[in-house]
Amino acid sequence: MKNFIVRTQDELAQAWTVTLKDMKVYYLRPGMIMFGFMMPFFMFFSFSVRREMAAGEGLSRLLALTIFFTAAAAGPFIIPTERRMGTYDRLLAAPMSLFTLLLGKISVGAFFAMIVASVAALFGIVFLDANIAQPALMIAGIILGSFTFSAMGVIFGSIPTHNPGDVQMPSTLIRWILLFVSGVFVPLADMSATARGFSYLSPLTYAQDLMNHAVLGMGELNLWLDLSILFISGILFLLPSIKLHKRGRVLGY
Amino acid sequence: MQNAIEVKNLSKYYGKFLAVDNVSFSVEKGEIFGFLGPNGAGKSTTQRMLTSLLTPSDGQINILGHDLAHDAYPAKGQIGLVPEESNVYTELSAWDNLMFTGRLYRMSKEDRSARAEELLKIFGLWEKKDVKVENFSKGMRRRLSIAMAIIHTPALLFLDEPTPGLDAQSARAIQSIIRQLSTEGTTVFMTTHQIEEANQLCDRVAIINHGKIAAIDTPEKLKQTFQQVQSVEIAFTQSPKGLEEKLTALPEVSTVVKVGDKWRLYNDSPPILLPLLVQFAEKENLGIQSLNTLAPSLEDVFLQITGQEVGAILETPTSPKKKAGMRRKGGKK
Repeated sequence: MKNFIVRTQDELAQAWTVTLKDMKVYYLRPGMIMFGFMMPFFMFFSFSVRREMAAGEGLSRLLALTIFFTAAAAGPFIIPTERRMGTYDRLLAAPMSLFTLLLGKISVGAFFAMIVASVAALFGIVFLDANIAQPALMIAGIILGSFTFSAMGVIFGSIPTHNPGDVQMPSTLIRWILLFVSGVFVPLADMSATARGFSYLSPLTYAQDLMNHAVLGMGELNLWLDLSILFISGILFLLPSIKLHKRGRVLGY
Repeated sequence: MQNAIEVKNLSKYYGKFLAVDNVSFSVEKGEIFGFLGPNGAGKSTTQRMLTSLLTPSDGQINILGHDLAHDAYPAKGQIGLVPEESNVYTELSAWDNLMFTGRLYRMSKEDRSARAEELLKIFGLWEKKDVKVENFSKGMRRRLSIAMAIIHTPALLFLDEPTPGLDAQSARAIQSIIRQLSTEGTTVFMTTHQIEEANQLCDRVAIINHGKIAAIDTPEKLKQTFQQVQSVEIAFTQSPKGLEEKLTALPEVSTVVKVGDKWRLYNDSPPILLPLLVQFAEKENLGIQSLNTLAPSLEDVFLQITGQEVGAILETPTSPKKKAGMRRKGGKK
């Protein structure tokens, strides 16, 4: 039992070490700023210009958008870059489990998304004069959503390749598709039955609904369903990442 | 004595391509073990499997008493890895790179700071400890990469091509550090195609070719095994046209190779060849500038085993003499 506790402490410290290092190395890299910071804001403004929208509704959408796009941008950028530079071998050869390494990488994207979402929330409160119905729920939603979508991004980062371009293209495409079916631009209530059916397959739908609960004080779905689906999705997203890493070790990446 | 590395029947397929073919060997604790081979022979693939970066298709690897397939965690904590490309974080300073690695290996703050200072001083990087690595030369990055690999004082160090591309001073500094580590008890496993480096550093070498180990022994024993590649090196005061053909026509000479301003004549008994060469020089009215007998070098052994052509030997040790075909016109070694 003592060994287990010591090992767990070690692994958590190692995950944090990986996270801190990546924050120093990658947060100010152009790829991260472009895909993680600027892209969600540009997308929000391009879809909200000349549309009648209440301030709270706008902030809720901006938060879901930033959490989703920013968190999922880190994995596809950082891991293939490290594979290309050879620095990923240093991490794979270190005495820590693959789960620990993935946890460290997921945290990098999650913290980045939390920072960007905080900027978005401040923007909404200061410039849009938005009111937040449940601030604690908004913070919890930002944290949970950031980890879930960062775990999704790490799936793409885990694809065995040395070229970030091979990963960023499919990851961006899939994120765009999810964006359009998830009630961010077209609310769930306005969707056709078929579109609504598809939207339930996307975790972003539940993140958007959660933000609606937090900012507007109401959502289409049950709050606990939103929280549960996001949490379970985050855990399930680890499985393909682990499988792809094992595949990479067989193929020599 | 327990072995640091034990490998049994190790194989690796990439699709249908067999990169490492049923390889078995062991490395004793404290040894400097060289893994030699031409490009694509399977050196780096083997090393990547030994460091758990690559999953073998078949076979067993035991590192410091731990089966790598089922018990990698304790083994990974005791090994250091220096890959062929210096994998340092160029956005961080030398100090931050070392601190990061020390934290990964769960060293205490005091230990990693003290060790980092010691290593940066040994490697001549202390004055630049706060400079971002992107401003470092290739040799400095290489030294930092090695410092990162040994900050946790590993029992087993893997080095992939430690010195190619470095200036003589950096290469010599790294070789000196490898010797020092071995003296302190670290087992060193190095892949290289720098044969002279392996000759100077390694207690034992394995020569791998086409994924198979072709020979494994101490450098000196390997050289003794290949006595037929002894040679005589002669430099004449002049180098008239047709000299190469005339030297090739001499009895007892199996191969002639031009090495700079000298000629290297291979045969299995240099003492017989020496008087013949003196007679040849008198007959051709050539002055002899220098005349030396050479024992087989590790490079000769390597070339003999791998059949690689760098300008000297293409024949197998037992093949019959074929004078005209064996002459290496314009070849350099």
